[in-house]
Amino acid sequence: MTLRQSLWNLFREANRTLFGWVKDRFPTAPWADMTRKLIETDQRQVPRSHAEKYELKTIWYWYPLYCLGGISFVAFILLTITGIVLGFYYVPDGRVSYLSTGKLTNPAYDSMIYIMNSVPFGFVVRGLHHWSAHIMIAAVFLHMCRVYFTGAYKKPRELNWIIGVLLLFLTLGFGYTGYLLPANNLSDGAATIGINMAKSVPYVGDLQAQLVFGGTDISTTNYVLRMYWWHVFILPFISVGLMLLHMALVWLQGVAEPH
Amino acid sequence: MEVDRVQGKVFEEAPGFPTQYGPDRSDRQPGSPLVPHETYRDLVSIFLLLAMSFFLTAWIVPSLETPRNPAQTPFIVPDWYVLFSYGLLKLAEILPEPDVPGVLGLPAFRLTAGFWGFFLTNIPLIILVVLPFVDRGRENRPAKSPFRSAFGVSFLFVWMFFASMYSVNNLILEKWPVIADDNVLKAFFFGPPFLSFVAAYVGLRRLGYSPMYWYRVVPLMAAFLITAGHSAYILATIGAHPQWGWIAGFLGILTAATLAPAVASAYLPEKAALRATVLSSAFLSLLGVLLWLTFWYYSPGPAYATEVVIVPNMHTVLALPVFSIITGYVGLRRPYSTYEYLLNECYQCGKCHTVCPVTKVEDDALGGLNLVYNSFKKEHDGVPLWTCLACDACSAVCPLDIQYSDYILEERAKVMGQSAVDGGEKR
Repeated sequence: MTLRQSLWNLFREANRTLFGWVKDRFPTAPWADMTRKLIETDQRQVPRSHAEKYELKTIWYWYPLYCLGGISFVAFILLTITGIVLGFYYVPDGRVSYLSTGKLTNPAYDSMIYIMNSVPFGFVVRGLHHWSAHIMIAAVFLHMCRVYFTGAYKKPRELNWIIGVLLLFLTLGFGYTGYLLPANNLSDGAATIGINMAKSVPYVGDLQAQLVFGGTDISTTNYVLRMYWWHVFILPFISVGLMLLHMALVWLQGVAEPH
Repeated sequence: MEVDRVQGKVFEEAPGFPTQYGPDRSDRQPGSPLVPHETYRDLVSIFLLLAMSFFLTAWIVPSLETPRNPAQTPFIVPDWYVLFSYGLLKLAEILPEPDVPGVLGLPAFRLTAGFWGFFLTNIPLIILVVLPFVDRGRENRPAKSPFRSAFGVSFLFVWMFFASMYSVNNLILEKWPVIADDNVLKAFFFGPPFLSFVAAYVGLRRLGYSPMYWYRVVPLMAAFLITAGHSAYILATIGAHPQWGWIAGFLGILTAATLAPAVASAYLPEKAALRATVLSSAFLSLLGVLLWLTFWYYSPGPAYATEVVIVPNMHTVLALPVFSIITGYVGLRRPYSTYEYLLNECYQCGKCHTVCPVTKVEDDALGGLNLVYNSFKKEHDGVPLWTCLACDACSAVCPLDIQYSDYILEERAKVMGQSAVDGGEKR
């Protein structure tokens, strides 16, 4: 037995001793095999679309519009990453206090100033979060227009269309709640409109305003905390679930093309 | 045969798990590989998005404004995507605010403008949710279902745009005090969506080669009559004024711009009507612009004609001529390329080949001569195009109602440099 072989045997023994304990309790081989089989099925190659199958020539101009759903998802991932980074520094407290100079401020606004001026690349992260949000909303709206004009909402895709409409309005909700987080004068304007509209519904108005904004009066309500809760927990929780369902249905039902 | 060759490449039983695994399996579906083709194509979109985000970040750093001050009246500028809701909230002022008495022990309440704004904002949501249960037709191509597409254009784009625009009505009235009338801006909620609906409907019917005559003539005639009536009303209202002649001349030109497409589409053959519409509207628009520039140059003081006559009435006297010109053009133009668009519905069932009488007498009847398929693929080297009898047997059996002989006639006309529909008129 050469030195090289004995070293190799030693390595194998050490490997079995160290990793065998884990392997006995968490067997990965069957899962790896299943994954390999899944990858080597026809999903390895993306199935040809209707237009490719029948060699159609003149509906190519729809094709760039078919990436809009994917673009909104990529924008959502980018928003998640930048949002996590912003969450390290942001303080969700909009209660107003006076500086010694007599000027107004609040902790949320202070933390925004800290992000923009002191955190390394903080203004880049906030800028990416801001502009990706605009891109995502535009992409979701255009995606909805594409689905509308190609008639892709028809049977059997009604359920997916309704999920998509909900996702569109959830995306608008992300935008609205995020707009209220910096606790600046624009946030106050948007919050005033929102609280007044929520309050004006008969019977459930005050309850609705209390639930969504945390109060019925703009001057006494710390709406920033409630908006933060919507923005980073409830809306993402619902949206991610619906997005997974949305994409799973597209995967199961196939992409609808204009035939 | 060609159809068999294509069918041989298609696995209709896919998707589903195949019976073979590994790189040597033989039942691979033809298509683009996931790596690298599809992956790289997706990466292009992803990098484009990243580049846009970084570029915008570097170019326009989002502002922080001033900290919130609950004691002050808030400055209301929502982001662009909720402007439609704010516009509807402002429009809700025109609705009544009734006091509703309490029933069954419930307290009385008042339906305020805030409620109507909330209510109107939810209408787009409701329309979108019920859409698949209302529109249950089979057609999913935009040109094949012109009503749905025209509604989409007018509702999703035009109506949403003007609803958003109305949210800044105070800024518009401040910047262009010449308008000085909120009702003009309110009219944009209803006028442009309706006009764009009609124009899109006419244009899409034309694109789908549906019968057109009345769909073209009626809206154009109506636009002419409304413009003429409104112009006459304006002239009667302003009475004797030093600038009466200029105003009458300009309104006359606008009325003529609506008259030309209406008369041309009613009385001329299509090709001549298109020429007449485009040329006359271009000429009249040029004349109108020149006249107005002359007027501005020579008229002393504030332009009475602009401020008192044209701007408050622009929803009629300016929108309808534009509507007439666009509708006349899209309703009359010859969309040659859309024949291929319509032929693309073919899924190669082969019924047309079975009934085609020409293939029965040609030498290669059992071989390569598939008239419909070869001329559609432009692989006909001239033979199928000119041996076709235009007997329409193929259209009669076509399950998708594709008008193949129309396409043949159009192709022949293109080759000869002549138009088939206009009876062989020289180009």
